[in-house]
Amino acid sequence: MKTAQKIKSFFKDIPSKIKSIPKRLSVRFAGAKEIITQGNGKVAASMLVMGLGQLLYAQWAKGFMFFIIQIAFIVYFVLTGATDLFGFFTLGSRESNAWYGVDGDNSVVMLIMGILSILIIILYVAIYIANVKDAYRTQCAADTLKQPTKFKKELGSLLDKSFHKTALALPVVGVCVFSILPIVFMILIAFTNYGGDIVPPALVDWVGFENFGKILSLGQFAPTFFKIFGWNMLWAVLATAINYFAGLGLALLLNKKCVKGKVFWRAFPILAYAIPGFITLLGFKFMFSYGGPINYYIQQGGGEAVGFLGLDAKWTARFIGLAVNAWISIPSTMLLATGILSNINTDLYEAARVDGASAWRQFIKITLPYVLFATTPVLISQFIGNFNNFGIFYFLRGGLYVDGYFLASDTDLLINWLYNMSIDNNYYSIGAAISLVIFVITSIISLTVYVLSPSYKQEETFR
Amino acid sequence: MNKTKAKVAKAKTKKILNVLITYCILIVVAFIFFFPCLWLILASFSKSGSIYSFDGFFPTEYGFDAFKSLFTDTVMYNYPKWFLNTLFIAVMSCILGTIFTILTAYCMSRFRFKSRKAMMKTTLILGMFPSFMGTIAVYLMMTQFNLINQHWGLILIYSAQAPMGYMVQKGFFDTIPYSIDEAARIDGASNFTVFVKFILPMSKPILVYTALTAFTWPWSDFILPKMLLVDKDLYTVAVGLMSLGETEFARFAAGSIFIAIPIIILYFCLVKYMINGMAAGAVKE
Repeated sequence: MKTAQKIKSFFKDIPSKIKSIPKRLSVRFAGAKEIITQGNGKVAASMLVMGLGQLLYAQWAKGFMFFIIQIAFIVYFVLTGATDLFGFFTLGSRESNAWYGVDGDNSVVMLIMGILSILIIILYVAIYIANVKDAYRTQCAADTLKQPTKFKKELGSLLDKSFHKTALALPVVGVCVFSILPIVFMILIAFTNYGGDIVPPALVDWVGFENFGKILSLGQFAPTFFKIFGWNMLWAVLATAINYFAGLGLALLLNKKCVKGKVFWRAFPILAYAIPGFITLLGFKFMFSYGGPINYYIQQGGGEAVGFLGLDAKWTARFIGLAVNAWISIPSTMLLATGILSNINTDLYEAARVDGASAWRQFIKITLPYVLFATTPVLISQFIGNFNNFGIFYFLRGGLYVDGYFLASDTDLLINWLYNMSIDNNYYSIGAAISLVIFVITSIISLTVYVLSPSYKQEETFR
Repeated sequence: MNKTKAKVAKAKTKKILNVLITYCILIVVAFIFFFPCLWLILASFSKSGSIYSFDGFFPTEYGFDAFKSLFTDTVMYNYPKWFLNTLFIAVMSCILGTIFTILTAYCMSRFRFKSRKAMMKTTLILGMFPSFMGTIAVYLMMTQFNLINQHWGLILIYSAQAPMGYMVQKGFFDTIPYSIDEAARIDGASNFTVFVKFILPMSKPILVYTALTAFTWPWSDFILPKMLLVDKDLYTVAVGLMSLGETEFARFAAGSIFIAIPIIILYFCLVKYMINGMAAGAVKE
């Protein structure tokens, strides 16, 4: 009920939000207007040549710093930046020709370097704006006959007032280059014809929304997509529910008063938790393989060897996948639940017992709501993690293609299908387009849940 | 009189039954989790090594051959080298990744700056992208920067991507009362001093948790090393073990035990911190 209202009011607010855009923009640019109208010649000098205004105010160290940054940027831009930026739009025009010894353009590399050059330009613009703002601040200080802040003091503020800028600088750059840039690259690939026969040295081109049309119209992609998507949703829900409730149950069991030697009993799941995932998965694959121990016992008993993970083992393979995933993930949920259970106020249980509530009622009315409430963010991330659980079926049934599926098996999740298509079979652009579709679906689900969850709204409770 | 006695006796049997069932379940759970591990340990002591010469779960003959060949027969599979490679990569990425993650989480928790909400939402959304699609780009970038086939390339990627998972750590810092910061600031401490002298000593559980996750990720990852490392001598253990076939099962098991032992020891020593760190990161009332 409440949720529906929130969503309704969100959509109701959209028109008024759009109407207020000019107003909000003007507020945002008020500072810029002030600098342009009020700034003196020295500020204008800083606009022309970074650091010049500061130098005119005799702020040597800072001025030179800005000046050097500008020189460095110009050198970068002349040497590679401009061509990189240009290459982003053309994706190369010179085809390689082995006969004449012509080295062609590598479109994909050009795309990446183009994105990188755009990131660098954004960074430069940010520094440029900081430079102009700083010059204006110096002017204001000089106008009011105050001593402009000393450089040493400004350096000191990097550890105090603007500590967050210093601390975040490296992580932000790292995330931009190694997390955001690859994702942007992947999104852009969805709008090119990269893949199939068209891989470097052949030239790649922009094709707009063609790939998305292909997914819908070409017979090979659409049926496989919906089949795998259905199984993927079922898998994510089942796996998350199994791991969550089994982990919680285990934690409750170990929390019982009558259990002696908790450390000893807890050691077994932790052992499972500590073993690296790929070892567990390969081990289980050996266990269920044709020559593995389980088939050995079946044959000893006079039965025939069963291909648990073989070609036509649809549901057995799926159940084995769920079980193995539970074996790997339950211990971590157990640890989490143990920590949370130790935080519950025991008075609640005391009161419930006095009122004559049964153990089951206590669990339903006290334990479950508390734990659910405390773990909503974790639950979302577990759901997403299971939705994109690459390892399980990659190790158990990797490289298997089943009839009725295009380059996939009936246990494969969407992420395995994407891997098969893009890494193993060169369908880069189609793979990128499909991953974009998946991404939109998962992000809408989790963002709504996250924004509506109390842990986002009541973030400030502890302050 | 008799009635109450019967009642007490009934309650007693009920209690004993309860305890009995609890222990039965515990034994089953322990068995489920322990048996596959036991199987791997036994397999590593198998003499012949191939999975086809086993009596079900148990090897026909026992011996130390697998361990011997693991460390001496290094021509095809140089396990000692792989182990050192993995250790180097994991330790370096752990140090750098932990620093980056803790700094990011702390700033997101304590400072209110303009782009904060936008950054939080962006990381949340970007975290949902299927990560290996980006690895194509990472691979191409690494060829451009000449970092293919080099351990530092992997370390760079692991530590640079680590801050994306700052949410649990931020949750922990959110629970540290703000009054501590304020008191220290009134005494004239800078933000840097507050962080180093007051917050960090209180954050041991979350530091341990972060370091442990930052260590185990490179320790057991196989996608990136498989893509970026070409020379067999530069392999990490995960990639190396994956190149072993079914006939080398004993060697696989022996190699697995050696890679699992350090992590298991770490976990058992630090499990208390883990529980506290995870719980504090998740609880938001």
